[in-house]
Amino acid sequence: MRRVGWLALGVVVAAAPWLVAAAVPRQQRYVLHVLIFTALFAALALSYDLVVGHVGSLSLAHPAFFGVGAYTAAILATTQRWPFAADVAAAVLAAALVAALVGVPLFRLAEHAFAVGTLGLALVASVVANNWGEVTRGPLCITGIPKPTLAGLAITTLPAYYWLALAALAGVALLYRGLTTFRLGRAFHAVRDNEPLAGAAAINPLKYRLLAFTIAAGLAGGIGALYVHYLSVMCPEEMTVALTVNLLVIVFLGGVGSLRGVLVGAVLFTALPEVLRLAPTWRLVIYGALLLLVVIRSPGGLESLLRRAGAR
Amino acid sequence: MALLEVHGLTKRFLGVTAVDRVDLTVERGELVSLIGPNGSGKTTLFNCVTGYLGADGGRVLVGGRDLTNAPPHRVARLGVARTFQQVSVFPRLTALENLLVFLQQHQEESVLARLVRTPGVRRLEAEAIARARRLLDLVGLGAKAGLEAGSLSYGQRKLLAFAGALMPDPELLLLDEPAAAVNPTMINQMKEHILGLHRQGKTVVLVEHNMDVVMDISQRVIVLDHGQKIAEGPPEAIRRDPRVIEAYFGR
Repeated sequence: MRRVGWLALGVVVAAAPWLVAAAVPRQQRYVLHVLIFTALFAALALSYDLVVGHVGSLSLAHPAFFGVGAYTAAILATTQRWPFAADVAAAVLAAALVAALVGVPLFRLAEHAFAVGTLGLALVASVVANNWGEVTRGPLCITGIPKPTLAGLAITTLPAYYWLALAALAGVALLYRGLTTFRLGRAFHAVRDNEPLAGAAAINPLKYRLLAFTIAAGLAGGIGALYVHYLSVMCPEEMTVALTVNLLVIVFLGGVGSLRGVLVGAVLFTALPEVLRLAPTWRLVIYGALLLLVVIRSPGGLESLLRRAGAR
Repeated sequence: MALLEVHGLTKRFLGVTAVDRVDLTVERGELVSLIGPNGSGKTTLFNCVTGYLGADGGRVLVGGRDLTNAPPHRVARLGVARTFQQVSVFPRLTALENLLVFLQQHQEESVLARLVRTPGVRRLEAEAIARARRLLDLVGLGAKAGLEAGSLSYGQRKLLAFAGALMPDPELLLLDEPAAAVNPTMINQMKEHILGLHRQGKTVVLVEHNMDVVMDISQRVIVLDHGQKIAEGPPEAIRRDPRVIEAYFGR
């Protein structure tokens, strides 16, 4: 029965472009746009949760890695005319490399100092994006980023881009599952739950923290690349601290450390503000009130509500 | 060659010398106790040997290998297991998973093999699960395998931590107050477990306050006071040693 439910959900998600076309033909483009954003945000939130939820380090640097990937792809695709697959790969590597380099000194900092250190990194990255004119064009933005072409197939329509984003999300989710269960997951969780004891279990805490941090950064960089190819423009505003706030809302109100929780959080907190456009004046007030309600009623996030419902 | 050699180990905290030029050796297969009044430096010594504290002087050798100031995970990887005075488990992992964590790093550490779950890694995992179940049964927690460690009682967590230290079949086992704050039945259980390890030829060093346990099971006792080694010998001799009596009861 559960199997059937998941299969049905999968079919609905994969067939969304047609369903949207049939249900709301006049707003098809807008709805698809929101769905693409949701898929990309869900993937980004999953990558973020690898660090926050599974090794328990409150990093606020995710926009920096997203931005490094986005700019790498944007620059390579425009000035160097790199093909899509190559510039996405370069974006992943560039973001992962930055994370590996800054991770070593950052992880010397304990909990709160680590959070502040990573916040500093995000701010520095944002300042660099704004002011390094020769490379990032600063507030003028990098424009004219071409639509992706994958294996000879040009991805120009919204449904095609939706499927690309969905495939990326599926890939990230699969990797997330592989990393957070079995022996790797156990090592990550050991470091998160009791670092001194993890040492006694022959686990090198720094190694596992860096591993999660670097992989998460690489994924964020790759998603950044997909994002700029979709928007065809990259501006410094895309990598501000506001992005961290969104990710924190998705991860903590969805369910930190849980694949299902983060996915539910991403869908709800990306789509919800859009749905609330029906009541434009009160939109943000209602959104804020809903956030408060979740925090008060279910401090463990929506995932703990789902668990309670499932246990009943 | 002795399994554990500590030469002139010194550790200072600000002005206080917590461990003061301590020499000690433990032979393979020995069961040795480290005793001393509160604050005499026993746990600090353990922490220096296992890499949790950096020593200010001296050397630590295990099996002839210099492990002075090696980080905890390296010391553990080379076959030195320890438990903590404050009962220490991974609260959100199940009892079974708690034990698995303690073996997996000794079996393989390849991130890629773990991610793709190669047949080799799966086989090692099956072996680890089998061993973990045997150890859970040994300490009487077989029925709790699937429960989160955080939900176990204090005594059960203590037994779980003990079983965790046994998972990699360590060369040298350092137990920090295994009998502290548990009920008399469990103290006897612990004693039996430790004696069982000794009979299997394991090397065990014990920090313990419970004199009955110490005098009952140790082959040799080392006494610390104010960070210095003041006496060493078989339990009967230590019991009568005037320096030890003075350290414990004053003059």
